[in-house]
Amino acid sequence: MDLVAELESVLGSERVRAHPLDRRVFAKDAGVKTGPVAAIVFPETAEETASCVRIAAEAGIPVVPRGAGTGLAGGAVPVEPALLVVMTRMNRIFEVDEQGRTAWVGPGVINLELSKQLASTGLHFAPDPSSQQSCTIGGNVGTNAGGPHCLAEGTTVAHILAVELVTVDGEIVVVGAEYPDPIGLDLRAVIVGSEGTLGIVTRVLVKLTENPPAVGTLLLGFPTVDAAAATVSEIIASGLVPAALEMMDRPMVRAVENFVHAGYPTDAAAVLLAEVAGHPEGVRAEAEMIERIARSHGATSVRTAADDAERALLWKGRKSAFGAIAQSAPDYYLHDTVVPRTRLVEVLDAIYEIAARHGISLLNVFHAGDGNLHPLVSFDASRPGELDRVLAAADEMVRVSVEAGGTLSGEHGIGLEKRDLMGLVFSADDLDAQARLREAFDPTGRMNPGKVLPEGSRCFDRAAVSGGTGR
Amino acid sequence: MTALREVTRRLLERLRPDDVPEAIGDAPVVAPSTADEAAEVLRHAAEEGLTVGFVGAGTRLGLGGPLEPDLWVSSSRMARVVDHQPADLTLTVEPGVTLGEIEELLGAHRQSAILPEGRPEETIGGVVAAGASGFRRLRYGPTRDRVLEVVLATGYGEVVRAGAPLVKNVTGYDLSRLVVGSLGSLGFVARICLKLWPEPPVHATVPVTDPAAALAATYRPLAVLETREGGFVYLGGTEAQVGAQAAALGAGVRVGLAWPDRPTGPVPVELRVPARALPEAVRTVRRLLPEAPFVAEHGVGVVHLAGPADADEEFRTLRRWAERAGGVVVRLGGYDVLSASEFPPWGAPPPWAGLQRRVVAAFDPAGVLAPGKLPGGLR
Ligand SMILES: Cc1cc2nc3c(=O)[nH]c(=O)nc-3n(C[C@H](O)[C@H](O)[C@H](O)COP(=O)(O)OP(=O)(O)OC[C@H]3O[C@@H](n4cnc5c(N)ncnc54)[C@H](O)[C@@H]3O)c2cc1C
Repeated sequence: MDLVAELESVLGSERVRAHPLDRRVFAKDAGVKTGPVAAIVFPETAEETASCVRIAAEAGIPVVPRGAGTGLAGGAVPVEPALLVVMTRMNRIFEVDEQGRTAWVGPGVINLELSKQLASTGLHFAPDPSSQQSCTIGGNVGTNAGGPHCLAEGTTVAHILAVELVTVDGEIVVVGAEYPDPIGLDLRAVIVGSEGTLGIVTRVLVKLTENPPAVGTLLLGFPTVDAAAATVSEIIASGLVPAALEMMDRPMVRAVENFVHAGYPTDAAAVLLAEVAGHPEGVRAEAEMIERIARSHGATSVRTAADDAERALLWKGRKSAFGAIAQSAPDYYLHDTVVPRTRLVEVLDAIYEIAARHGISLLNVFHAGDGNLHPLVSFDASRPGELDRVLAAADEMVRVSVEAGGTLSGEHGIGLEKRDLMGLVFSADDLDAQARLREAFDPTGRMNPGKVLPEGSRCFDRAAVSGGTGR
Repeated sequence: MTALREVTRRLLERLRPDDVPEAIGDAPVVAPSTADEAAEVLRHAAEEGLTVGFVGAGTRLGLGGPLEPDLWVSSSRMARVVDHQPADLTLTVEPGVTLGEIEELLGAHRQSAILPEGRPEETIGGVVAAGASGFRRLRYGPTRDRVLEVVLATGYGEVVRAGAPLVKNVTGYDLSRLVVGSLGSLGFVARICLKLWPEPPVHATVPVTDPAAALAATYRPLAVLETREGGFVYLGGTEAQVGAQAAALGAGVRVGLAWPDRPTGPVPVELRVPARALPEAVRTVRRLLPEAPFVAEHGVGVVHLAGPADADEEFRTLRRWAERAGGVVVRLGGYDVLSASEFPPWGAPPPWAGLQRRVVAAFDPAGVLAPGKLPGGLR
């Protein structure tokens, strides 16, 4: 039997696709790379997923797990003809334990949908990536996704208690537990963020977070980018961890204003969107403190959301940033470096300088509170030479971040896109240790190969490449 | 082989550091001063097939059962603070630094690493290897959520670094979190970077009669504990906030955090259950071990307790109850009064024991690190 017939015998014909058009649609995620797809399947249970993995093994092709395909690093893009296992049909919320504040959910549940479904319980799933209207919980687990509110709450890994995993051998195993500090090695912690290379997640036990009784949201305008960045550094240093602390520069603010009309100050060089959440008394004090620090750095405007509607509008401005760009430029290239929060001012200065030198148009919208930068270059790839200039500038931006003590990715992942930059932050021995871990899960190298680690990471094949330089 | 061990033993006697914890007795101990030295020791141990245990202050050695390795590696000569970035809320330390030293350093900056309370003598290396957390995990999450970077001397004798001293990072596999709670099975933790929290300006402790109800009624307390003395809610925040929250809970407010002592007694154990089962767990402990001191963490699902030496039957019943409730009972010590065969250190192995064995073999190919410590191990 051929591959498709074999898959259809398990899933039926409606849930197996191999038409050239389908193969093209699923050849890319939201990043810039494309890859070859052999067939696409939509399993609905862990057992079906395991069967697909075994059929792919018999056919000698790799498996690539995929959620909604909103990933930006090429994690769900195959490097050789592969079986794409799309988890979006596994979108049930199985059980919610309101008292214990946990829920078992399918990996295909949409991030925002989960919190919406929980609305009546007074609980929510804390990680809130800007893509939350479309990305899946399984994808969030795959990338250890972050979001504005991960500043105080931690990224996805802090909100995942256990996963059910289909291994490369087609075994189904639960990793992690409902009780605290599960005995044995914490393999859950490495499965989260493994970008589909350690197995396919078919069920997730998520931790739920209590909705705060009070929330304060401030939009602060600044005369210079440096003043905004310095405000961020001082807020963190002053002993306050806000619920969220996001920054946008003028080009970004203007793009967003044209798009959603949220009333952002378009004359400011940069704005900060700050949120404090918790007990009403604490919220009041913290909001005052943020306003005081902002004013001491010359804030030119301070707007406090008067009600939930205004708060939602201010957040809509932030969360539609990428949509706004997509509207104005044919292509965009986005980085995701992290730098120590004390170095924000100098790294931002350097990034603007790089953009100016290469003559490219740069916009900034990012998670300032945890030092997670998203320099975004909008361009038109159809113009000759433009992509090359963009990539050259992007490379320099990564390097200035790393030189300031930073790293390659804060939330989007390494995938295909940053794989070959891993040597900038890890030595050959560091990469070898990571490769050992991966090999323990997947000795055959068929689970989403070619992602995260550069070729030749395992020390016995290191001779083949130059290896990393370390830091 | 035995002759070689004898020679090694005699040579090691001479290298013995002065401050060897009592629990080790007179077994051979080496104390490397750098990660490279530790890796070298481990490389030799792997080559010679010598089994190795790791030790800090020696306060948590009972976790996973008693260990009698050929060689102990102590963190006592690696006890330096490497870097504190108060404005970035990170701290990098060597494994032998004690919790007391860390909290004293951070206290001066009104910051905290949220480490186990009331255990100043413990080392950070031991806390990380044991995966231990403090009571304030209800508010700030467990220790593993704050380990940003580790340097590890692996069982195959290389020094590797994982993670970065940054609060947000998805660059590569998160080996630093994997090390937390690994009980020495992957290697010697030679450096740790922790994420810090600012200390709230005001703290208070409020006695309550119904801790489960108090937990449900209070937004994000630091901890809600129950002991034989009663229930207590621990609050942190601005003066106005703590005042309002305390007033809503009742009378008898004490300023500051009055933590209970961890239960001591012949056989210390930890009962861990899903948070919703905690009230039932407390009732079960009261019924089975009516005299045993305990501290129960509401909203978390942990009961720390210490039972008498002759309570093996009750301990086994407690473990059966816990496993039915979706939890476990873990032993922390007391093997000299109640043997590991009468009441084993762990109950049923974790479902992922097969994967775990492969991961351990990748980091300890010779199978010499802390043999038998992890649950579900074959060695
Ligand atoms: C406009 C926009 C805004 C964004 N904003 C953010 C943001 O604020 N924060 C952030 O972190 N990210 C953001 N992203 C990136 C992306 O949305 C996240 O990485 C998200 O977690 C991906 O989810 P997904 O369901 O689309 O996964 P996919 O893109 O389909 O997959 C992502 C990775 O996870 C793996 N994977 C998916 N499902 C599974 C599974 N069930 N089991 C095992 N592995 C699996 C894949 O193999 C792949 O490596 C944004 C993207 C866009 C387009």
